[in-house]
Order: sequence, then C-alpha cells, then structure tokens
Amino acid sequence: MAPGTRGLLEISELKISFDVQGGHVEAVKGVSFSVKPGKVLALVGESGSGKSVIAQAILRILPRNGRIDGGSILFADPKMEGEMVDIAALKSSDRYLNQLRGGRISMVFQEPMTALSPLHTIGNQVEEALTLHHGKTGAEARSETEEILRLVGFPDPVRGYDMYSFELSGGLRQRAVIAMALICNPAMVIADEPTTALDVTVQAQILALMKRLQRKFETAILLITHDLGVVANMADEVVVVYHGKVMEAGSVEDIFRSPRHPYLKALMAAVPHFDMKPGERLVSLRDMGKEPTAAVQEIGQRFATAERGETDRPHLSVRGLRKEFTIRKGSWWRAGEESQLIAVDDVSFDIKHGECLGLVGESGSGKTTVSKLIMRALEASAGQVTMNSGDGDIDILALSGRQLFEFRRKVQMIFQDPFSSLSPRMTVQNILREPYIIHDIGSTKQQTAEIVDLMNLVGLDPRFLNRYPHSFSGGQRQRIGIARALALRPELMICDEPVSALDVSVQAQILNLLNDLRSELGLTSLFISHNLAVVNYVADRIAVMCRGRLVELAPREVLFNKPVHPYTKTLLGSVPYPDLDRLLDFEKMEMTSADDMAEWGASFVASGGGGLRNIDIDDGHWVLANENCDRRELVA
Amino acid sequence: MLGYIIKRAAYMIPTLVLTSILVFALIELPPGDYFESHIAELLASGESVDQQQIEYLRQEYGFDRPPWERYLTWVSGLPFGDFGYSFEHQLPVNEVIGDRLFFTMVVTFFTVIFTWIIAFPIGIYSATHQYSWGDYGLTFLGLIGLATPNFLLALIMMYLANEWFGTSIGGLVDPEYVDQPLSWAKFVSVLEHLWIPVIVIGTSGTAAMIRRVRANLLDELRKPYVTTARAKGVPEFRGLMKYPFRMSLNFFIADIGGILPTIISGAEIVAIVLSLETTGPLLIAALQSQDMYLAGSFLMLLAFLTVIGVLVSDIALAILDPRIRLQGGVSR
Repeated sequence: MAPGTRGLLEISELKISFDVQGGHVEAVKGVSFSVKPGKVLALVGESGSGKSVIAQAILRILPRNGRIDGGSILFADPKMEGEMVDIAALKSSDRYLNQLRGGRISMVFQEPMTALSPLHTIGNQVEEALTLHHGKTGAEARSETEEILRLVGFPDPVRGYDMYSFELSGGLRQRAVIAMALICNPAMVIADEPTTALDVTVQAQILALMKRLQRKFETAILLITHDLGVVANMADEVVVVYHGKVMEAGSVEDIFRSPRHPYLKALMAAVPHFDMKPGERLVSLRDMGKEPTAAVQEIGQRFATAERGETDRPHLSVRGLRKEFTIRKGSWWRAGEESQLIAVDDVSFDIKHGECLGLVGESGSGKTTVSKLIMRALEASAGQVTMNSGDGDIDILALSGRQLFEFRRKVQMIFQDPFSSLSPRMTVQNILREPYIIHDIGSTKQQTAEIVDLMNLVGLDPRFLNRYPHSFSGGQRQRIGIARALALRPELMICDEPVSALDVSVQAQILNLLNDLRSELGLTSLFISHNLAVVNYVADRIAVMCRGRLVELAPREVLFNKPVHPYTKTLLGSVPYPDLDRLLDFEKMEMTSADDMAEWGASFVASGGGGLRNIDIDDGHWVLANENCDRRELVA
Repeated sequence: MLGYIIKRAAYMIPTLVLTSILVFALIELPPGDYFESHIAELLASGESVDQQQIEYLRQEYGFDRPPWERYLTWVSGLPFGDFGYSFEHQLPVNEVIGDRLFFTMVVTFFTVIFTWIIAFPIGIYSATHQYSWGDYGLTFLGLIGLATPNFLLALIMMYLANEWFGTSIGGLVDPEYVDQPLSWAKFVSVLEHLWIPVIVIGTSGTAAMIRRVRANLLDELRKPYVTTARAKGVPEFRGLMKYPFRMSLNFFIADIGGILPTIISGAEIVAIVLSLETTGPLLIAALQSQDMYLAGSFLMLLAFLTVIGVLVSDIALAILDPRIRLQGGVSR
C-alpha cells in the first residue's frame, strides 16, 4: 500500500473464520489491500484461497456460519464526505448495510443462470436496485432500466425487460447481472469470477463490456478470478492470495514482468499456454506430478492396449455423422410447433492409432453430442462410425444386443464433473470393481489385484480403496474416474472436459497424468474441451466445431499458427493470455459475435449454388468452405 | 390457455371412466351384496325377514341382472347427478351426501387454513434460523402433534371442552339445533364445536407441513439468487418473501391436488370419535354394509376431486412459474 494515496476501500488485517462441524476454520488470516477509486484490482487465487470470502465480507453477506474475527474494511462512502466507514465493525442488522449493498458497492456473480431468479423478469430484478436505492418506480424506473440494458448490450432492451433469465443466453444473462450491478452507479463493483462460466468468445465480450463501462462510469472494480489471462487484460493492480494470506501484491506490470513469490511463479507455470515447446511438461503446483516411476510404467505396460487393428488405417473413422433433436417450441398451452434442431451436421474425421484428437467448440456446438454418438449413448440420425479394432472392423452405429455390450469395453469415458460422476454410496473399491463385474472378468482375487494396479497407475494410494468418494479432493476423484475408465482396457478413451471443473494446479496434475497414460498405454483418445490452451497441451490434431459442424481440422501447431476459418480465428483471438504484451483487442471484440455467419465472409458460407465442402489447405489441414471458392483466397 | 384447459379436461374423461370400472369391480368383489348382509344382520338381531320384500328390492335394483348391466345403469346416471339409491338410508345417494358435504367442507376449510396459519410462519422461522433453539423447539412441538394419535387428542379435547366451556359432547352443533334451520345461534354453536376437530385434524397435518416448508425453503435459501438479492440491498424479510419463499411455494401448489379429495374423505377416524356429521364416517359405514351405490358414488366423487385438484394445481403452477409456462420440451 502506498501511503498518501487514499483508497476507496482499505482492508487491513482482515481475519475471517467459519464454524464447521467439529471445528473452526480460518479462511482469511490477516489480509490487507486497498482498492483505489476508478481502478481495477484483481484478487487472484485458487479455490479455497479465501478470495470469494473476502468479497462476501465486504458486503457483509458471509454465510451464516462465517464471521469476521478481526481487522477492518474501511470504505470511503462518496455520500459521507471524506469519512471512512468501517464495514467490518457494523452490526449485521445495521440499515446502512442495505444502502451500501447495491447502492455504493454492488456485485457481479459467477453463475449468471443461478444468480438470477427464474420467476421474475429481468426488468423486475434489475429495476429492484433502482427502486430500493433511488426510490424510482413506474415508467421512470422502467425507462432507466431499459437504458442500462441497452448500455450493457441487450439488442432489444424493451423486449429484454420482460424476458425471464432462462430465455436468455449465458452471455446475455451475465450482461443483465452487470446491468443490475451498475444501475445505481456504485462506487465499486465486486466481480466474483464474472466470466468463468462463460464461453471464451463470450468471455472476451463481457470483459470488453466491463472495461468499457468501468472507464465510462469511473467505477472501481474488485475482480476476483483464478484466471491469470483475465487478470493481465483487466487489472491495474493485483493481489495474489493463497490459503487466506496475501502472497504478493503490486501493479500488474510488477506481477507479470517480475513475479517474486514462489507461489506466483508456480501458478504461472501450472497454466497451459500456447508457447509451450513440444514435450514440455506443466509444472504442477503441488508435488504430485512427478515423472512416473519404473514400477508404474511396468503396470502401464500390462494395461496397454494389447491387440490393435492395422495401424496404417485410422483407428476410428467418422463419416457424415448427423444428429437431429426434435424440439417442441412455443409456450406451455399453445400446441407447440415441432422443429428440428440439428445438433451435429455432417461431421467427418479420423483418429489414428494412439493419437489424441482435440475437439474444440463453445457450449452448444455439438461436441459432447458427437462423443455420445460414438459411445452409442445417443442414436445418430445418419452417418457412419467405424472402429478398426483389434478384432476386426466394427460398424459402431449398427451394433445391437450382445455385440453392443461387447463393444462397450472398447470405448470408455472420463467425465467433466468428478463430483457427480462417482456414486457417493460406493467405496472406491466397488466403483473400480463394477466394470469387471458387469463384464464378468476374472475372479474376485484377480479383480482385486487389478484394482490395486489401477490405483497405482493413476497415482493413488491403494490403501484408500475402502474410502468413499467424498473423502477425496476434486483432483483425486478425477483420478478415480480415470482408473475406472481404464479398468476395461479400452481402445478409445473419450475425455469430455476432464479438467474444466478443477483448479489450475490440479488441472496441471490431471493433464500430466492423462498425457503419461496416453503414451504408456498407447491409448487413442478424443479430448473434448472448450479451453484451447488445454487442448493445445494434450492433442496431436485439433478439430474445431461450430453450430454442429466441423469447420476446421489441422495438426496442433498448424491450427494455432495458421488458422484459416474465421471462427477459429475469433476463437483463438478471444483467449486472454497471461501476458501483458498480448492483450485482447477489446474494441474489436465487444460486439462481434463469433458464430455470426454474416461476418465470416463469402468464402465460408453456402451461397450462389455452392454448398459447403471440406477444402484441403495443406497436408492434414482442411477447412469447411464454399465449394466454389478459391483455395488460395482462403489461405490469404 | 383456454385451449390447454379444454384439452386437459378432455384427458380427464378416460381417467374417470377407468376409475369407475375399477371402483365398481372392487365393490362387487366381496361375496354377497347389501341384501345378504342386511338379512344376516336382521337374523342376528333376531328379527324376522320379509323374504318377499327383499326379492322385490333385488329385482327393483337389478341385482338379478349381470354386473356389467348394473354398471352401465349406474355409470350413465353419474354425469347427470344421479348417483343411485342408498339401501341403508333408503334415500337417493345425493340426498344422503348433500347434507353432510356442507359440514365436511366447513371443517376441511378451517382445518386447511389453521394448518397454513400455523405451519408457514413456523416453517419460515425454522428455515431461516436453522439449528437454533427456536428451530429445534418448534420442530419438537410439531413432531409431538404428529406423533399423538388423533383419536386420543380428540377424546382429550372433547373432555376439556366439556369441562371448561360446557360444550356438548360430539357433533358439530348442540343437540337442540340438529335439524333446525341455520340461525345465528346455530352458527355460534357450530363455531363452538368446530375448533376441536380443526385443531385435532390440523395438528397432525401441521407438523408435516412445517417440515416441508422448512426443507423446501432451506433448499432455496442456499441458491445464489438469494445472495444476489442481498448484495443488491434488498431488506432481509422482503427479499425472503420475494425470492426464496416464492420459489418454495411450488411444492405447496402442487399439493392442492391432494387437498381437494381430503375435503370429503379426510380424517374419518376423528370424525367417528367426535361423531361429526361429515362424510367420512358415512363412507366407512357404506363400505361396511356393502351399500354399493353410496360407496361407489363416494369413491367416484373422490376420484373426480383428485383429477380436478391435479388440473387446478397444474394450471396454478403454470401461472406462477414462468419456467413451466414458457419452456418447450426436447424429445430425444
């Protein structure tokens, strides 16, 4: 803290603790920092670092079992003429708190879906703050609300006012939450992971919006995030917290150009980025990601896919895959018109033996649907999926009965959410044994031996076998999920966003584990993610999906260095880098919609009798474009 | 909306037809008919039986014809309010039920109101003060209410009311007003008697209701939109009512479907103990004596009220919850 410059919000020696069953947890252990008027301060840390708790303490909206044990939160209320109010010292029933919340300090939340009530219109919820703090009602309030909705980028604010949150896209919902936070023109906005739940292109738009409005209203922002890329693009000052303590604080320049604290350095090394050299490993924050030992490698060899098909042909070949969903549209009482939603449209790709294909796309692009079609969890509407398996070719979509059951062993899946993908009522032992029981493999003794091997393979202590999933951390649970998927020695592993629910440091561990397993076991895998950096770290080739179609497919380096399709370009351009020399171009970003075909240019849309076709650019690099267009034009 | 209601109402017809077949079959199931049990009863009490009259009645009411014919006769009368004839009471079924239906509705109405008035504030308090002494204490009281057998409570209350207020034992009015036209004095007498069944029937329902209000509200209180409201500066109580409480009402509206049928069938045992002139004891008596048209029509009335209740709660839910109103379904 520089003395002399007075902060808008000065926190000093703040201590917060929680009463939990059988004890008392100190979440924040003496944190001090200061937010200056009109500036952005980023509070960076992993989950459990106490960063969100600090935000809740500022507004005094801590959960009921939490309390402030010490320290002060001094706020220079613009209405109080130079006096500092100690928010931490106020009684929780103080009426001043209700004026403060939403009026002087407001908040933007992580989950725009659940942060809004589904029973009230957007207008009602945004306007509420205005009514509470400025006493405005009726037509006056409505017009101001519509004005702020327009300002945050609602295409039709008048209609938007009367809509419900579930009728809006994630991006618009977050815009509504921002409108709600800004409508009373507060001195400070606390943004708690405001873009974490959003797609990368939407994230870029929302960040641009926040930056623009922050400058326009000269609002101070306390930005809470785990994403160093977001920090680099948004913050003026940075405070890094770890286990309730400040590790490092300083201007954004200091933090990124010369990080000092080992934790901060480690945090930076744990994030996958695009400049990684081939073979470079992520450095995991905690000491789990060590190189596999010889014993583990030996186990790995036993689990390696024994039989293989002919390796000169692709292992999995997908041709013209299509899936339509029937949607009943219209409201509850009108007989709904049925319409077809094409979730997957003419998708074709190959995966070679032992290769990892990354499938990238934003939510709703159909990437998970593709994986479910390959798994036969959904029935395809058209197309062909062939697996060149160890025991001959398998026409996956034509399987039924016994054959389908046998096929299940060949494809296994790792799920996104390690919490809900493991049954809380089964011990780890039972979870891992279940695949063997279902497929009737081995005696109980053999199964137990295999289960112990599996635990070693994924880096878990076999002594944990009799525990239940709840006693494991997110990363450990994901390891259990991986072990379960490996039990049947699958040929193809589908990873659906396996690390997106995990913290940065844990993410690095799991990614390293997946990479090691892949090379040891020779697994073929399909890796689905919305995170380009993650895909870049694990995949050999990358396919980009947009609106159910595969728009571009290329080897990893080619896609990142020479993207051709405008969608791919936007996607790559929207990733915030943790690098001050490569900031996002917010002005360009804010209003462009990534999947808006009108902005793609004539070469990439079907028109003038020319349909869309996969056009070869280079060896193994193709792009979906108009069949009449010139190949050289595309590359230019 | 109107189209939807008409469509929903149309779906009710096959449901009711199926129910009527089921009800009729169930009542036919036990061996014998009303007359046989009637004869047995007469013989048991040592009275003579006029065989001829019985035979005449049998013929009159078609008991010599096959069951399906009787079913058709019975069922075709239902839509026009002709529920058949009660042998036991020697009156058309409508007349037997009609008198009692009014009292039943009065009792049920007050019971439901009593339950809500007690259960909602306590449920809300318990949820917002989870694990506090107040929460435990009120929950405990509610559970005592749930655990006490209703008939026992009814007897105790009746005794106390008689000791303290001189209220006559049993019934819904003082004996002097029975069969009298409704007057102010009779109305007061009804109120004097009413509170006993209302409290007795209400206490058992209240405990369950408190727990449900509490559980549903607790679920909602943890949702992020509650924090959003607090962060916006919405005063505690106002925010509670506008957001989580409103959300937690869904279960309660869905419950309306279950309340309607209890209007006529609820709390039979209590009604018998308190000798209330409600419909519950009537239904039990009808089932015992195989008074088949009375019992059958009763059950049909129950089925009808259930179906109507579900319709009402569906419509109410759609009005109150835009998610139900506006979201289309996806079929796979």
